[in-house]
Amino acid sequence: MKNLKLLASEMSEGRRAFFRRIGQGTLLAAVAGQGYALLRSLVPNVLYEQPQKFKIGLPTQFPEGVTFIEDRRVYVFRNQNTFHVLSAKCTHLGCTVKMVNLNQPETVEIKGRQVEMAQEFHCPCHGSKYYGDGTNYAGPAPKPLACYQIEVSPDDGQLVVDLGETVSRDARLTV
Amino acid sequence: MEVKKSKWDRLFWTWKPASEREAGDSVVRNLLLHWFPAKVTKESLSFRYSFWLGTVSALLFGILAVTGVVLMFLYVPSVERAYPSVKDLEFTVSFGGFIRAVHRISAHLMVAVVFLHLVRVFWTGAYKNGTATSQNRPFNWILGLALLLITFLLSFTGYLLPWDQLAYWAITVGTNIASAAPLVGDKIRFLFLGGNEIGQNTLLRFYVLHCFFLPTMVLFLFYWHMWRVRKDGGLACVDKLALKQKSENTAPVKSKTYSLLGITRGSTVHVETALVAQDEHTVPSSPNLTRRLLAVMLITLTVVALLAVFVGAPLEEAANPLVTPNPAKAPWYFLWLQELVTDTTIHIGGLTINGALLGGMLVPGLLVLLLGAWPYLDKSSVNSVGVWFAKERRRQNLIFLAVVIFILILTIIGTFLRGPYWKFYWPWQGWPEVPRRF
Amino acid sequence: MNWKNRDWAWIYWSAVVLLLVTGYIFWDQMVPEWGDYQADFKELVASRLGQARAKQVPTGIQQVWVPQLGRADRCTTCHMGVSWKGFESAPEPFRTHSKEILDKHPIAQYGCTVCHSGQGQATDERSAHATMVDHWEDPVLGADLAKTYLVKNREALLQINCNQCHRYDRETKGADYINYAKQLVQQKGCRACHTINGRGGMVGPNLTYIGDQSPEQYDYSRMNGVKTAFAWHLAHFKEPKAMVSTTVMPNFGFGSKEAQSLAMLVLSWKKTNFPVEYIPGAKVGDVPTPEELAKEKQMETGEGAFFVKKTCFICHSVSTLGIESATNIGPDLANAAADVQARFGRTLEDFLAAPTGTMAVVLSTQIHLTPEERAEAISKLKAAYQLKLEQEKTARPKK
Repeated sequence: MKNLKLLASEMSEGRRAFFRRIGQGTLLAAVAGQGYALLRSLVPNVLYEQPQKFKIGLPTQFPEGVTFIEDRRVYVFRNQNTFHVLSAKCTHLGCTVKMVNLNQPETVEIKGRQVEMAQEFHCPCHGSKYYGDGTNYAGPAPKPLACYQIEVSPDDGQLVVDLGETVSRDARLTV
Repeated sequence: MEVKKSKWDRLFWTWKPASEREAGDSVVRNLLLHWFPAKVTKESLSFRYSFWLGTVSALLFGILAVTGVVLMFLYVPSVERAYPSVKDLEFTVSFGGFIRAVHRISAHLMVAVVFLHLVRVFWTGAYKNGTATSQNRPFNWILGLALLLITFLLSFTGYLLPWDQLAYWAITVGTNIASAAPLVGDKIRFLFLGGNEIGQNTLLRFYVLHCFFLPTMVLFLFYWHMWRVRKDGGLACVDKLALKQKSENTAPVKSKTYSLLGITRGSTVHVETALVAQDEHTVPSSPNLTRRLLAVMLITLTVVALLAVFVGAPLEEAANPLVTPNPAKAPWYFLWLQELVTDTTIHIGGLTINGALLGGMLVPGLLVLLLGAWPYLDKSSVNSVGVWFAKERRRQNLIFLAVVIFILILTIIGTFLRGPYWKFYWPWQGWPEVPRRF
Repeated sequence: MNWKNRDWAWIYWSAVVLLLVTGYIFWDQMVPEWGDYQADFKELVASRLGQARAKQVPTGIQQVWVPQLGRADRCTTCHMGVSWKGFESAPEPFRTHSKEILDKHPIAQYGCTVCHSGQGQATDERSAHATMVDHWEDPVLGADLAKTYLVKNREALLQINCNQCHRYDRETKGADYINYAKQLVQQKGCRACHTINGRGGMVGPNLTYIGDQSPEQYDYSRMNGVKTAFAWHLAHFKEPKAMVSTTVMPNFGFGSKEAQSLAMLVLSWKKTNFPVEYIPGAKVGDVPTPEELAKEKQMETGEGAFFVKKTCFICHSVSTLGIESATNIGPDLANAAADVQARFGRTLEDFLAAPTGTMAVVLSTQIHLTPEERAEAISKLKAAYQLKLEQEKTARPKK
């Protein structure tokens, strides 16, 4: 008789432990959920900033050569019907680099290849210098100028620059 | 059976003490638990004695602080951006509407709960000293009154922040009543508003008061309030128990735990009776007090969360100084004052009694003074300490009840029965339609 | 220890309720109303324009922030198709916006609500369209509202907002109701009694910013039907005495179209704070006087037109040919024939062919002269010099 009672109390003991575990789990989940909600609210869903991805106009609106978009700090290159975009932000401390047109195009060796450049970029802040493709060759700049993705907007065919996506230096958009 | 202590047990033993010894140790070995005495009387833990109202108000303050800090990252205290930032909370911030609703509902609940706590303390005569030495419950009552007033101010300053019509005009009403104070009324209003009108200065100083200055005062006063509770020997119901045991004339018991853990005046520690600390009357704080505390915490949080989801927080049009809503009402906890002001604005012939002064300043001022002085005027004996509706204090309890009911009635009238132009409207009488632009 | 278990019961049961509430708010956040619209749009793009384009459709709350106008509009979160070519006949909210207007008023510079009204910050339909929402007075001026007021052209109401920038136009393309109302204001002589834009009479109230008047400040005591400011104006225009019993404003016999047009015009008269670039016709810059304009015309068409065309006149006057330089950095070219000889010891032809000093720089970078142009310049300069000599001769007192 005693054994049965012991058995019964052991079984209910097990069940109680089970429910206690469920209770503890629920409590933990509820509190964790509330905590997550508080923290997630601090990750912004909309930004009061200029958007990272922005339209710059139809391809036909761009002249051959380089166009500087001042308020977004990018240089847009057009070569016939290919486009690419360079950032105008110096990789040293973020000043806007100035474009310098070379009187004679110069040939520069970059990564073993000979490339002809018609312009250079000079930074007015600390003297960094970049070739026309953005490669840094003088001054304190540690990295070349960033290349951003440029694509055609699916809705109205305008060119779209995406500052959130970097692409390789050779990448070109052909329209 | 020897249970092997797991890592979990070794880290958290203070919350689950395995013996009387561990229970006593836990309050000196755990930072959070040092707040509590080693043992509490079962009576103190009783829900029916105090309803844990003081604890609930402290918990609500905690909820307000946590949600408040999060909101401080998201709200902008400028007259141009305040309202849009609150709209953004409702629409684009993840869980923004919920956090805001929790904050607002906790605020309103805290005002109500603090008031109920005051009522409970009065009706149990817990503002009175018992028989232990160097108690000063009357002073703690004053601290509590200060906390009540600061709670009102916290809610009032927070009320302005959304900068909507509700906020702007409620504060207009409130600060105009304040300017009725004699001699210094206008100066007080000027300083409070930071100018002659409610504008950027007002918003900014209300914001700083609301987020920094007043909460700091609450923390300081709350700390003092709790220290006094400990020094006074715990809740007033403990005194009732001590008295009972005194009358039983039991011999003092040798004990290393000192009841009424605190420092008394005089050069020696005075252990009058250790009986209150006996097993039949007391239990270790850890885990009994902590377990109850967890329960009250969760119930409070759950109630607040439910109200936040089902009632929500209102937001009206953006504040427009040129358009006064009809009627313009103060926040609900000041509506009894607004009602009182209108009721005491009496025209006798050509004379008008200044209701703002009478109903807005004198009556509440007198009430506060009376409340503050009452513990010192109360002549009842120690037998009424910590006793619900003690016979000896029947008259004062009834008068107090009458005043509370009076305030409640005024609040109900102000909330539900006053419509446009402060005319009287029964609940079933519809208010005239508010015209729209389209 | 019965109460110990009771405490735990309270703890665990509140935890359950709290978890349910937490679950609800998570669900509410993760399944927003706009999510469905965005999924539907993606499908639409996939079916009409292919999967590749569909992949480019953005997700999440879309915001157009126009700091100059102080607006953050989230309409494009659901109205995803507004600038997509090819959805002109798609069901709302995916329809393409009319291209003509969008070209002149690009979304990035204007947002949506400055023209369409509504609650731009909202992210659900009911709050955004705000036709039936408490505490937001500017509903979307669309078909719903037009139906309520029986406006024949369902899209006409938004002309109210056109007029906030186009207020000073006599006529605005596409705003036919507003144009009609402006005509009526001229024809019926409203200014006889009302001050509008600083001019007018004082018999009736000043209407310059009447659109800002709060709806609660109208007297609806004699109104049947909905109490709205718009309805008040409709009724008032149709029969002024019906709304204001003591008025002296005559009954002009306006029909529905007239009353609607005028009500729209009047409600558009608000204080606005738009930057000057948004106001059509606002002149930003120096305005030349009529005399300056006449002189300019003269120089462009007169004898010295060559020197204007080749921009010599920027630095040089050619006084005898009527060319006046604004800067006079260089000497008067009427003297050039003699001057060049005196200063450089060379002839005009010689100098222009191989200039020195400043002219060398100018003629190699800024002004390029073909040999023919050079010859023309020289002949004109010589003519100018001849004229100068003649003038001096007649000016000299006869001895």
